Amino acid sequence: MQNPTIVLGVIGADCHSVGNKILEIFFSGEGFKVVNLGVMVSQSEFIDAAIETSASAILVSSLYGHGEIDCQGLRDRCIEKGLDSILLYVGGNLVVGKTPFDEVEEKFKEMGFDRVFPPDADLKQVAAFLQAEVQP
Amino acid sequence: MTPASVISIDIGSTFTKGALFSLAPTRPSVIRRAACPTTPDNLTRGFSRVLAMLCELPADTPLHDIRPAAPVRISSSAKGGLAIAAIGLVPDLTLQLARLAAMSAGGKVVKSFAYTLTESDIAGLEHARPDIVLFCGGTDGGNTAYVIENAARLAASRFDGPIIYAGNRAAADRVAEILRPRPLTIVSNLMPEINVLNLEPVREKIREIFLQAIVAGKGLSEIVRRFETGVRPTPLGVYELMEAIPRVRPDWDNLCAVDLGGATTDFYSNTDSFGETDSVVLKGIREPRLKRTVEGDLGLRISAAALGESAADYFAGPLNEAGLREYVARLIEEPGHIAVTDCERNMDDIMAEACVYHAARRHAGSFRETYTPQGRVHIQTGKDLRRVRRVIGSGGYLASCKDNGIMRRAFRRLSETGPEVVLAPEDPVFYADADGLFPLLGNLAAIEPEVAVALALENLKPLEQEKTPC
Repeated sequence: MQNPTIVLGVIGADCHSVGNKILEIFFSGEGFKVVNLGVMVSQSEFIDAAIETSASAILVSSLYGHGEIDCQGLRDRCIEKGLDSILLYVGGNLVVGKTPFDEVEEKFKEMGFDRVFPPDADLKQVAAFLQAEVQP
Repeated sequence: MTPASVISIDIGSTFTKGALFSLAPTRPSVIRRAACPTTPDNLTRGFSRVLAMLCELPADTPLHDIRPAAPVRISSSAKGGLAIAAIGLVPDLTLQLARLAAMSAGGKVVKSFAYTLTESDIAGLEHARPDIVLFCGGTDGGNTAYVIENAARLAASRFDGPIIYAGNRAAADRVAEILRPRPLTIVSNLMPEINVLNLEPVREKIREIFLQAIVAGKGLSEIVRRFETGVRPTPLGVYELMEAIPRVRPDWDNLCAVDLGGATTDFYSNTDSFGETDSVVLKGIREPRLKRTVEGDLGLRISAAALGESAADYFAGPLNEAGLREYVARLIEEPGHIAVTDCERNMDDIMAEACVYHAARRHAGSFRETYTPQGRVHIQTGKDLRRVRRVIGSGGYLASCKDNGIMRRAFRRLSETGPEVVLAPEDPVFYADADGLFPLLGNLAAIEPEVAVALALENLKPLEQEKTPC
């Protein structure tokens, strides 16, 4: 059976590249086929890459605090493009300031993300969720 | 063993040209040249005349009586050249690469389709009757649904020409099964992974199909039979020459060429496409070092009307609109027209500049500056041509330029900065392929690269700075 493909990238005008490289190495090590789009990735780049590679999940990072604006409408666009059931994960410093994480999580779940992670998320845990939730 | 000399003939849409080259390794040279108008009703006639003249025989010697002492290499761009329809999945990914591969193989993209082929797409394809369909989509192990669906739609269409499949290999067997018994060939995926290019197998297959299947339809079979040699698409030879130049002469690296014709404008570049630095983020596909683009709406004669629309910005200012429209109408009626009056020459100049400008602009990438919370960043899309040092003008009009005026003005205009900076060559030196040898030497580039490059460079004419009236 083929390894599940995931698309990875830092969304919007965010250039934080170190964490992105770490995620690529980590998820590859966990047995995923990682398509890493790097930094400053637009919604349509995530979606185009997911279509061509038939990815099971899109993992969106955002570190600079503007994640909410950047991520709005991503689920709708996925549906428009025929990716109805793709998993959407998001993680990082998703909003500026000290909003409690459960509020942030709720907000992003309302936007259509399946899982939302804080900056100190345990990557092993993220990988376990992914393994369990990707469509075979 | 290398022959002592070789004959190269190019059957163009307007002229058939040829040359006899000496291949003496120490001093290769052009021994003789010949040309006559192309004879579209029977390409063999024009070809025979040129060959006879090169062999110092009377021009009307029948083809079967000509026994050339040197091997003959032939290229053709007559009868519309090589028309390719490109099918991809996502427009910015596999479709764009399919288009690039088609153009790099010397083809002209007549139709492009993304996602699922619709009924009107199929109707458009049947109507366009391309010589080849290049069918792609999906990375290896990626999406199979679209290509399988599109294979079924192609199978149900009336298009019965050759199809090259260069999509997701996981779907290749299924595609082959669906499209049987169509003339289908499967090559490795042109985008095996996101951001990985694999254009060579497609190019090679297109070249092969042109040789085997297409020459007959272009009225070239008699020539092929007589000489047991292939006929190549003209732009493919030029592409190979452009590849060979920096390989043989590294001091000529970072090179562009523009071939401006009556119907199309071709643009070639051989330079690294992206210089990675911290403050530049590259978006879109990674473009190849050697690239050809061809613009079917930029041309001085057959495409004059399309040019008027595509380059409307150019015509608005310096020309009397009505006068230009009249001139364009006349050119479409009479594609062989040669400018007579100063006013007509002036219009040709402006049209040529517009072709060069727009062809370069579409070929080159661009970047824009953007401010992020982490500071200023440049976002680059497409190919960076700023390292290009030399630009060669080829094709009748640019080959006969007296100075660098047309090309220099077009490139200068490209570097006029707006919010988006076009990554065009910065202050290059301009040359003219004054004797029109590029297509002929293109025929030799693959077999005798050293000789072809030496002759090409030796015969280039450096264009002097335009004299500005004071």
